[in-house]
Amino acid sequence: MTVIPLPLWQPALLGTALPDGRVRCELCPHECVLAPGESGRCAVRRNDGGVLRTAAGSPAVAHLDAIERKPFYHAWPGRKVLTVAGPGCSFRCNYCLNYRLSQFGRDPAVPWTGSAAEPAAIVARADRERAAIGLSYSEPSLAVELTLELADRAAPHDLPILWKSNGFLTAAGADLVAPVLAAVNIDVKAATDAAHRRLTGAPLGPVLDTVRRLRAAGVWVEISTPLIPGISDRESDLRAIAGRLAEIDQTMPWHLLRFTPEYRMLRQDPTAPESLRRAREIGREAGLRFVYVERALGPEGRNTRCPGCDRELIARGLWETLSVTLAGGACPHCRASIPGRW
Amino acid sequence: MHENIFVESLPDLISAEEYADHPDGRLIRLRIDCDDDGVRILGDALRPAELEALLRELGGGPTEQMLCG
Ligand code: SF4
Repeated sequence: MTVIPLPLWQPALLGTALPDGRVRCELCPHECVLAPGESGRCAVRRNDGGVLRTAAGSPAVAHLDAIERKPFYHAWPGRKVLTVAGPGCSFRCNYCLNYRLSQFGRDPAVPWTGSAAEPAAIVARADRERAAIGLSYSEPSLAVELTLELADRAAPHDLPILWKSNGFLTAAGADLVAPVLAAVNIDVKAATDAAHRRLTGAPLGPVLDTVRRLRAAGVWVEISTPLIPGISDRESDLRAIAGRLAEIDQTMPWHLLRFTPEYRMLRQDPTAPESLRRAREIGREAGLRFVYVERALGPEGRNTRCPGCDRELIARGLWETLSVTLAGGACPHCRASIPGRW
Repeated sequence: MHENIFVESLPDLISAEEYADHPDGRLIRLRIDCDDDGVRILGDALRPAELEALLRELGGGPTEQMLCG
């Protein structure tokens, strides 16, 4: 007999009880109003007899990997990250490489694979490895409760908490986690609300609001954009995205991601290296100082050069930092400040 | 149902220098090892779904995959 594990539903934050037994979830801008027994669009929060509960505090994996893989290029270079991820996402991206984890509840073929988190064990393992603690692979903002608990336990050990997120949070959601998040990499997947909605099922505006809000609260923010041929790789789109990021802060690192045909987007071709090269130029033309391509352009796509004197400051291999030449967070040659968490 | 397991890391068999030579992503590379425990197939592909379909066809144990991000 095959035993199929079931989600463990734990009390959730940011639920407002309504007079008729319904509950409004105020974690993400979908703001689902749930009748008793009903689950939200993310499928990992539900109304359990008038009480909002979450299944997102049950990681399916706890993997030790490189901080450069999230990707973070301006935060603790070379550090390992113990990354935990429970099933679930507030988006339904048809190209998700992690759909077997992220699309639980939205796609009937995706099984439940999480089990109740043991925050003390996660923190102890991270402390042994002197690793940061990351929530990634699926949507970490659905696991705010676990994030807060991990942060509480990690604080005495001085272990930073990181997210790789879609940034789709309400202001209340962002404010809840901002005090405990050290850094977040947020996807900006399209140039307009309409294109973002087609790709993810959600508008873009709240994502940019989260970028601004977390930065204002002192969280280190890097941005990732996938270049999907015919959908988000047109020059006009990239120019629009780069322009919006530059308006926020020209020194915010921008990672250009190669699209891989997967899940329900199998007809498209992978992103051509030339498109990534052109996108990098567009980012620089928009004034962005740090634009990165992880693999397709080789080391020159990954390394950090000083925006003041153009000397190489950080050399990276694939998913590792090879050398860092910074003096107190600044270029040792021209003293230009290099923003990040060093 | 075929089982997929998430693992921390797997070696690459395709390098970034090869991307431009395969604009439509029709490249799959396999390494097959045999020992007393059986046969282990390591695969890398520019279209992971095609590699997975191939591994499912071949049968045998679960497919290990890395997660992104
Ligand atoms: S997190 Fe978002 S999608 Fe999930 S229940 Fe709450 S409002 Fe709905």
